[in-house]
Amino acid sequence: MLRFTIRRLISGVILLFVISTLAYLLLYLGAGNVGRRILGPQASDATVALKNQQLGLDQPIVERYLSWLGGAARGDFGSSWFTQQPVVEAITSRLAVTISLVIGATLVSAVIAIALGVWAARRRGWADRLVQVIAVLGFAIPGFLLAVALVNVFALKLHWFRPTGYVPLSTSFGGWATTVALPIIALSIGAVAAIAQQVRGSVIDGMRQDWVRTLRSRGLSENRVVLKHVLRNAGGPALAVLAVQFVGLLGGAVIVEQVFAIPGLGQVSVTATAQGDVPLVMGLVVAVGAIVVIVNLVIDLMQGFLNPKARVS
Amino acid sequence: MFKLKGVAVLAGAAALAIALTGCGGNASSSKSSSTSGGGTLTLGLIVAPSSFSAQNANWANQSPYMQAVYDTLLKASPSGEIEPNLATKWSYNSDKTVLTLTLRSDVTFSDGTKFDADAAAQNLIRFRDGTSPNASTLVNLADAKAVDATHVQLTLKAPDPAMLTYLTQNAGLQESPKAFTNKNVETVPVGSGPYRLDTAKSVTGSSYVFDKTPHYWNPSDQHYSKIVMNVYSDGTALLNAIQGGQVNAANTFDNTTLDQIKAAGFTVNPLELNWEGLILGDRDGTLTPALKNVKVRQALEYAFDRKALLKALANGYGTLTEQIFPTSSPSFDKSLDSTYSYDPAKAKELLAEAGYPNGFTLKMPSAAAFGESNFALIKQQLADIGVKVTFEDLQGNDYITALIGGKYSAALMTLQQDPTDWQLASFQIDKTAAWNGFHTDDPTVQGYIKTIQTGSEAQATAAGKALNKYLVDQAWFVPFFRPQSSFVTDAKTKVTVQVGNAVPYLWNITPKN
Repeated sequence: MLRFTIRRLISGVILLFVISTLAYLLLYLGAGNVGRRILGPQASDATVALKNQQLGLDQPIVERYLSWLGGAARGDFGSSWFTQQPVVEAITSRLAVTISLVIGATLVSAVIAIALGVWAARRRGWADRLVQVIAVLGFAIPGFLLAVALVNVFALKLHWFRPTGYVPLSTSFGGWATTVALPIIALSIGAVAAIAQQVRGSVIDGMRQDWVRTLRSRGLSENRVVLKHVLRNAGGPALAVLAVQFVGLLGGAVIVEQVFAIPGLGQVSVTATAQGDVPLVMGLVVAVGAIVVIVNLVIDLMQGFLNPKARVS
Repeated sequence: MFKLKGVAVLAGAAALAIALTGCGGNASSSKSSSTSGGGTLTLGLIVAPSSFSAQNANWANQSPYMQAVYDTLLKASPSGEIEPNLATKWSYNSDKTVLTLTLRSDVTFSDGTKFDADAAAQNLIRFRDGTSPNASTLVNLADAKAVDATHVQLTLKAPDPAMLTYLTQNAGLQESPKAFTNKNVETVPVGSGPYRLDTAKSVTGSSYVFDKTPHYWNPSDQHYSKIVMNVYSDGTALLNAIQGGQVNAANTFDNTTLDQIKAAGFTVNPLELNWEGLILGDRDGTLTPALKNVKVRQALEYAFDRKALLKALANGYGTLTEQIFPTSSPSFDKSLDSTYSYDPAKAKELLAEAGYPNGFTLKMPSAAAFGESNFALIKQQLADIGVKVTFEDLQGNDYITALIGGKYSAALMTLQQDPTDWQLASFQIDKTAAWNGFHTDDPTVQGYIKTIQTGSEAQATAAGKALNKYLVDQAWFVPFFRPQSSFVTDAKTKVTVQVGNAVPYLWNITPKN
């Protein structure tokens, strides 16, 4: 298991290196006149030239890349070109906000999806069709549209929640709950649809297996058979979907954080990308890449926990 | 076993989420309140500060951040008149190349350092040599020296009629000299302003919290005990914050949501800051020979249905104009706005007189930021008089670089209407101006500009008027309209808009009661 983990971590580092190199080249090749972009139309050519020089943009790209890589290896990703905030600080101060949203959405969607999937698989008939319809709707409705609708109804009309902003849990639990509830709902819908479908299919397959008939013949209650045995068997594929959804939720947070003005990674990603804030975008690429690598590793380890056949000796 | 472990996994994840959240960002958003002499003002702004260093400070949309933490040497009234601030008196020598400022002696920076003439001189030199977008406003500053503790002398390379105005803006911001070498000088301001940035409660790029400076030298500028400036980079989020009562006042991205904002009980405070239209940069016919002929340029003036363009390009919010000078300028002449009516037949006639009866081809840049349909409309109106336009699509950044670099004979652009004629001329008209991309050198124009720079007030005003009329007659530009900018305020907040600035000056945002 240890060797497996180390091997996966090494491949993760290689993956991050390749992704960051490609991202660096793509960003700089399309960067244009960075100094002008930062300073805008008012700045004189002399000021723009000075800015480019200060940013080291008068150096060859290979030299700049090696300098960035050396800094990144030491954990120094430079500073944002547009707010001057150190990139590491910009990311770490927002990472917790986004991760809390994504974990919240993952938990909510996992619980609801498992309940719906099991219910549909056991009841079949109209319940099954209803869950299928819910799943299709969940897939079809874009997260940002749902976010706008939720804000209009629950924040602006009913005043149950705050329309924008974020209150840290350390400041107030109630404030935190009212600021994350709608974003989590908006983020969860798509994931619920995907995971519920997967759970439903896996449970139906599982319930047709011979070993399930054996369990029933031994007198085990249906609830025990489904919840303890069939569901555990169905957990593997569902976890795989959950892993994909977790990464997808990071992407979904980009739009949802914009709509709710939540100071997370999604919001800063949109702003930094639109501005062409290369140091910050590079930091985000590495940070999100690292999260994806870690999540996939954790899911692999959990797969092993749920299914002995999947364990790596 | 599975159940227990499953619960443990879920609980662990939940704990992680809570723990992470607890140590996360500090931005808070609460229902705002504004009480006279205290309370909190929550502003909704559309950009974050690019730097908190006075040396590299931006202005316009970023002016509230700077005005919260810094004082400027001089102050501008809402209509642009120069007023005392850190400098209580100012005087020029006879040829207007030496400006002497008398400074207050009772001002202290937030780090305890005393403000004096030496600090002022250092700040001026640093700004000139820094990378603020407006660093070039001090290009005429040869040197700044402290005469004594309360007198600073600015030596200019040449007279600069806008120098006093610059000192009311970012060029006049005063930062503690001790902070110049701070590692965090770009993110932690050390000024003498009416408020201090609470870095612990602020989230860079999203929310900035300012607390009232105790014992501030000018308490009449402190209308609130706390100011929160929230950044909304998305129009929908800003609208939601306004409708949800989460801000007292806000700048707006555009005018498309004004009806919804008014319905939420907000007042729209309109302001016209820019002109929008075509820059006919190639007046010497370098790339498009036809444009050298003034009749061709005038034909383009007659080609446009400005009323339709205002509706299409700015949703009808703004005022039609044919001049680039702002209404606040003494050189503004309302009669010039009816020099060219929409008359395609007259345009064709002028083209024929100029030797282009079948029109000509004009290459122009386009950019998604302006909206594709706007370019289509321009193309169609020019096609109606026989001018065939071919557009080359550019990124926003490349668009500006191309225009400044004189790569296109004509281009759609929105440019600011600077409050003084000298600023306007230096920015858009003079042969060395950044937005005179082809550096057209017209002796008549340069003569007027020289008088604006060196003449008496009366001479400068007369020259400004003459310059404005000359530019309209010579069709240097094809202005369509002045688009409306809108700053909105709730029922508890009063504001006086600032001429030439996108956001009202901070001390002009006050509680209504």
